[in-house]
Amino acid sequence: MLISLNWIKKYVDVEIPDEELVRLIGARLVEVEGVIDESHKYDNIYVVQVAAAEKIPDTHLTLCQIDVGKKDLVQVVCGAPNVREGMLAAWIAPGAVVPASVHEDTPFVIGKRKMLNKYDSNGMLAGADELDFGDDHSGIVEIDPEMARPGELLKDVFELDDKILEIENKSLTHRPDTFGIIGFAREVAGILGKSFDFEYQDTNLKVTGDISVKILDKGICERYSAVVLEKHGEIKNKYLSWMDTILSKSGMKPIGPIVDVTNYLMLLTGQPLHAFDFDKFIKVGKSFKPEINVRLAKKGEKLVLLDDTEAVLNENDIVICSGETPVALAGAMGGKNTMIDETTRNVIIESATFSLYNLRKTQMAHGIFSEAITRFTKGQPPYQCLKVADAAAEMLSAGFKVTSVADTQKKPEESVVIDININEINDLLGTEYDKKTIVNTLSNVGFKLSAKSDNLRIVVPLWRTDIRIKEDIIEEVGRLLGYDNIRPVLPLHGTADKNEILSLKTKVRDMMSSFGANEVLTYSFVSEKLLEKVGQDLNKSYKIVNSISPELQLIRQSIVPSLLDKAYVNQKLPVDKFAIFEINQVYTKTRQVDSENVPVSQMNLGFVLAERKTKGAAYYKAKLYVEKLLEALNIKADFLPKKHDSEDSKPFEDKRLAEIWVDGEYIGVVGEFKNSVRRNFKLEDFLAGFELNFEKLQEHFTPTREIDVRPVVDKRDLTIETNETYGEIIEKIQKVLEKNQLDAEISPLAIYQPETIKHISVHLEFKQKIDDKVMHELEALK
Amino acid sequence: MDELERLKKELKDLNAEYAKIKDVPKEKRSQFGKELNAKKMALLDKIMKAEESQYDAKVEALDISAPCAPNENLPELYPVEQGSRHPLMVELDRVISIYQMMGFDVMESRQLDDEYHMFDSLNFPKEHPARDGYDTFRTEEGLIPPAHTSTMQNRALKRYKHKLDEGQNIAVVIPGRVYRNEDVDATHEHTFYQCEGVYVSRDCTMGQMLGILREFFEKYYEQKLNIRTQPGYFPFTEPSLEFMIEKPKTLGGKKGDFLEMLGCGMIHPNVLKMAGIDPTEYHGFAWGGGIDRLVMLRYGLKDVRHFESGNLNFLRNFK
Repeated sequence: MLISLNWIKKYVDVEIPDEELVRLIGARLVEVEGVIDESHKYDNIYVVQVAAAEKIPDTHLTLCQIDVGKKDLVQVVCGAPNVREGMLAAWIAPGAVVPASVHEDTPFVIGKRKMLNKYDSNGMLAGADELDFGDDHSGIVEIDPEMARPGELLKDVFELDDKILEIENKSLTHRPDTFGIIGFAREVAGILGKSFDFEYQDTNLKVTGDISVKILDKGICERYSAVVLEKHGEIKNKYLSWMDTILSKSGMKPIGPIVDVTNYLMLLTGQPLHAFDFDKFIKVGKSFKPEINVRLAKKGEKLVLLDDTEAVLNENDIVICSGETPVALAGAMGGKNTMIDETTRNVIIESATFSLYNLRKTQMAHGIFSEAITRFTKGQPPYQCLKVADAAAEMLSAGFKVTSVADTQKKPEESVVIDININEINDLLGTEYDKKTIVNTLSNVGFKLSAKSDNLRIVVPLWRTDIRIKEDIIEEVGRLLGYDNIRPVLPLHGTADKNEILSLKTKVRDMMSSFGANEVLTYSFVSEKLLEKVGQDLNKSYKIVNSISPELQLIRQSIVPSLLDKAYVNQKLPVDKFAIFEINQVYTKTRQVDSENVPVSQMNLGFVLAERKTKGAAYYKAKLYVEKLLEALNIKADFLPKKHDSEDSKPFEDKRLAEIWVDGEYIGVVGEFKNSVRRNFKLEDFLAGFELNFEKLQEHFTPTREIDVRPVVDKRDLTIETNETYGEIIEKIQKVLEKNQLDAEISPLAIYQPETIKHISVHLEFKQKIDDKVMHELEALK
Repeated sequence: MDELERLKKELKDLNAEYAKIKDVPKEKRSQFGKELNAKKMALLDKIMKAEESQYDAKVEALDISAPCAPNENLPELYPVEQGSRHPLMVELDRVISIYQMMGFDVMESRQLDDEYHMFDSLNFPKEHPARDGYDTFRTEEGLIPPAHTSTMQNRALKRYKHKLDEGQNIAVVIPGRVYRNEDVDATHEHTFYQCEGVYVSRDCTMGQMLGILREFFEKYYEQKLNIRTQPGYFPFTEPSLEFMIEKPKTLGGKKGDFLEMLGCGMIHPNVLKMAGIDPTEYHGFAWGGGIDRLVMLRYGLKDVRHFESGNLNFLRNFK
């Protein structure tokens, strides 16, 4: 939303510099996203009088002598058809920037030109579009001689030395009143500690005449006021007006006298108005008198809108009908069939409020984000509908008179009353404001207060639809007096409980990086293609219906597939050798829901290592990482052949993976990947990884282990020739040691296999003295 | 004949079928072609899968119990200098440990939640336009990858309510990953991290909230800071504000250069009520802010997209 500071200042006396005002608005009302400084936009542009105008033969040009308020006349060539002797116009002097171009990369500077090789032309007479007042290019602007004299600066006449605030709408979602200048100015007054008085004049409108309004569905329209205006004269429309300039500064553009008035009043009051062509309305409704019916649309019903698009309506949309025929999509846009144009004689002004919930859906369904619907979806209150319609009638009274009025509101809304004690306010804010300060602050912005000692009875003004409970009042006081005036204090510290899983995550992260691995973070959302590449079941993933792209459509079931994707990125860089890991949440539909009826989440640790130009079995390296990790966490695990079926293990090659089991529980998988997976990710041969259930790690993790302080007293190397697996041989060694009541730290040395027989060499460290008999027994194993 | 050969033969036969189209009456030709194409697609899919499994079958089993393959060296871990931790995680740890020192419990946020926790329990009226401001993703089931860590407020209040009964305060922070449906550029990510704070006691004030937040940021940036606020709007706090700090000099800040760090406010009585806490007896405040920006500021990073890039040329700079 764009707010002109000059317009605000028409309603509030501001005695502080603009910069300070902007800072205070930011600190006490709403974020000001930017300030467009227009104080120099209209420099060197003057009101001038065309003293002489002479057509240049065989051209569309006119040679003008203009009075710029100095002794000598200035010569300008003008191409506009409406230039004539005696008129007041706007002159862009040589050297000035054309206002419409000030925000362009290279603003257009008017110079001294020679036209048709012989006529000197100094500066230019400007059209509305060049002055940045809409896009009318049909001629030059004409200025009312009652407003200005030749030689005056245009910006002085029209208050164009202005600053425009760019307001962040989102944080005013709950404040429909501030979407009008009056409401915004009231806040500014409140912030400055000034009382704000604005009253609509007493409305002269009485329900009369033959116009009827019916609301046919419940809850869609709280109030509908309509005024019929009959043409009885001409509206002065040939001069550039202050209203044209303010509409433009507020981001709208002048269109025609009737529509301009409705737009202007919307900007001023926050209440959107709509104007129907009365005669078209009657014709469309096929009746002799205007019958306005407000109802929900039928599914598939069609309406051609003002912008020539055909809207296909749904049962949520609210339509305004003439009789039975829709003539407007309520709150969003009028229909083409009742549009105001040059031929319009009589008018119906609509001033109504509609269900913001319906309009919100309408906005989304039809993609209409007009100034009007932006205001309606904040929930404009009904109290001012008829008053604003009256103001429109008043502004158009030069050309129109009221012939008929309808209003669905039978009695005024009731005000909300809130009782609150001064202490309740100070206790929540941590302040010591006295009663007088609080009472003044609230009454400045329209609250009516009565006090019994420290108890306040507060009548909430009708435009404050956001204020319903005590806390809302506390917010008003804190905000208007400035949160920055609240003294920060620290409450006493308690002690925090330890979060086990979080501290384990930190520990594992530190450990893995000390193992030379790199932590990555990857998106929780993955593509169908990614799951297909690793062979996971798409149907087990939760699917995002409004994803940004197909790449981000499914919620991942495990971490490793995302890491394979990143492995490719890094191998391309190229990084020759790396191990990446991530600890994050995963979800699958097979895991059901928890007691709160939301899907059970699982924390996984994924790991992938990849090398370029390396031969060999990568499995063993990935396994080493798991072993080191588990060892550091004091978890004893078994590495078993594939027997468990899970989505986690889908990318892994059954013949080259080990399932990791702890105390009879499956906690994850380590292994190499299927050939097809490796090929799908375009990764080089040396590739392996693991995926562990991190929550299981936490369950089995013990921070301490028994410390054996006995020294190592004997060390032996042992080689066994065998066809058995390494695991079976270790088991056999342990059995022999057990039988001899010995225990040893066994570490691998090498596996040598010249042909079919393996030579497994291990290193044994004993904390007891051993005799050669045991060694012979061990050496005899096979 | 193995499975793959059989399928290939079937494909050859099927291809021959296409020739028969000229014998089919004109009006039935399109139907005939469609059916044939569908059959062919299904067959091609089967062939691809068969080829894939044949390809996958060409591997030798390993001795999974061994420390290395025969005749290969024992594997080694990569050198410690090659390792790194993700900067977001490192800083999140730091954030959490500061809050823990200040007496806050920690609870992690979920990454898939529902409408109730994301909106209803936070006093968002049903279908209210304020819900649009969060640009939420939704699953087919109507679940929501949360757009803010406030999705955990109701759970946090319920989980620690016992502390109030025991005469203590609720003080908890909730870090987590959140998601917004917005286009990614140097300063916007659809996936980012937030940290939520919730504090409830009998006599807490907005002054205390500002005190805690200033304390946190001063500890985080290890210097005294000027703070500033701005009114905001969140349905779950009343009053609601935006909290700003003056950009620290050590990070190139100039006087008057204020940065929005988080949204905060006094917890709305309805939010307390929905968690079973009596708002006439207890008050609370809550806040939530992004972690990514904090980290970018601290390390002078210009592009938020680095964080989820997985690019080791970036990540290996963070030990």
